[in-house]
Amino acid sequence: MLENDFPSQLQWRPDPVALDAKVAEAKERLLGSIKRSVYVYRVDCGGCNGCEIEIFATITAVFDAERFGIKVVPSPRHADVLLYTGAMTRAMREPALRAYHAAPDPKIVMAYGACGCTGGIFHDNYCVWGGTDPILPVDVYVPGCPPSPPATIFGFACALGLLDQKLHESHHVAPVGEEAPVAFPAIPYKVRTAFEREARRMSGYYYGKQIVDEFMMAIAKDRVNVFGAVDALIDGEADMRKKAVFMDLKTLLLSKVVDE
Amino acid sequence: MLKLFKEIRRAGDATVGYPFQPLEMPAGFRGKPEHNEKLCIACGACAIACPANAITMELNADQSLITWDISYGRCIFCGRCQEVCPLFAIKLTGEFELAVKNKGDLRESCSYAVVQCARCGRPYAPAKEVDYARRVLASVGGVAATDIEKLDLCLDCRRADDAEAFQKQARERKGA
Repeated sequence: MLENDFPSQLQWRPDPVALDAKVAEAKERLLGSIKRSVYVYRVDCGGCNGCEIEIFATITAVFDAERFGIKVVPSPRHADVLLYTGAMTRAMREPALRAYHAAPDPKIVMAYGACGCTGGIFHDNYCVWGGTDPILPVDVYVPGCPPSPPATIFGFACALGLLDQKLHESHHVAPVGEEAPVAFPAIPYKVRTAFEREARRMSGYYYGKQIVDEFMMAIAKDRVNVFGAVDALIDGEADMRKKAVFMDLKTLLLSKVVDE
Repeated sequence: MLKLFKEIRRAGDATVGYPFQPLEMPAGFRGKPEHNEKLCIACGACAIACPANAITMELNADQSLITWDISYGRCIFCGRCQEVCPLFAIKLTGEFELAVKNKGDLRESCSYAVVQCARCGRPYAPAKEVDYARRVLASVGGVAATDIEKLDLCLDCRRADDAEAFQKQARERKGA
């Protein structure tokens, strides 16, 4: 959280809601027995509405969360699962707590989206207190900005104990003396970076990288007749846009040729 | 009634079989950023580019290790890290099943050794970055390769060297 000048003792901070043992036990039992057919109430604590759009995409025909009995309900009093989207803002902390207390126990709390998990891109905003977890006991975190509908379904399956989480904390220590390989060592470094820049300038970082890789593979493969390989690549390309980038790269290659 | 069934059969089933069948995400889908620890030189470009500060780089207390750390919970999957990475060590994959029960599982980190300056002994850059720069400069050759031995020095020592050389040059010119 951002260190601001406003004294922290003057900022109201709620105590995190703690689950008492009886409710926790009831929740365990509930998870063991229901497995399906849960009602979801979503609480927007100050998000951009992107998460809501994805939640409603999840209950459309293509992803159809209702085939598992997952239904979005309009009141927390009907809910089994509370879906908190958006960063926990100061203004929305009270409604978020009210929704939590209105839902009958035992209930499952899900933090949805990057903002709901940690505060996301707004984590250092003056009115943001982080994700849902500073004030509520969260069961499942669903990251994504916004999480795609299948990711949402996976989150629900995780929350209901149907599927296991795939992500685990990992820490790697690089071995001493490990060398990062230089890409395409056969092609001079400056020529390679010039190709990369040109391809990215022409078609963006994502497609530019794919195109320049294809181009350099063709060059690296045929060391004897480089221009023959490039011409074959250009002739074999059906996509005119890609062809234009290849031709541009060929011009660049011609400009790099030096007589020996 | 039969007509309705025929229509239903003709229309087919739009619903994906996702939780029961694996779902192939379309090409270019920006899912979980995959960090290739072997390719990474710990230059920190991704940490600077990351708009949500999901990727951070931190030195440990005695400055012997620099740790690259990503929080998937904070990541907004914009792909800026993939765009800026000079070695293409980070790539957004089609992996979308990121939900976890424990918040700690959203973190992934990797530590890299930091080298000390050959003259003053202060830590100045990740060892892999210096090693990579040395090999690239050697392969480029020419003017760039003349400064290779200076890679063992920290920025302060190199500045001091440059200042001394400049002073010497100025004095010589004045004397001539």
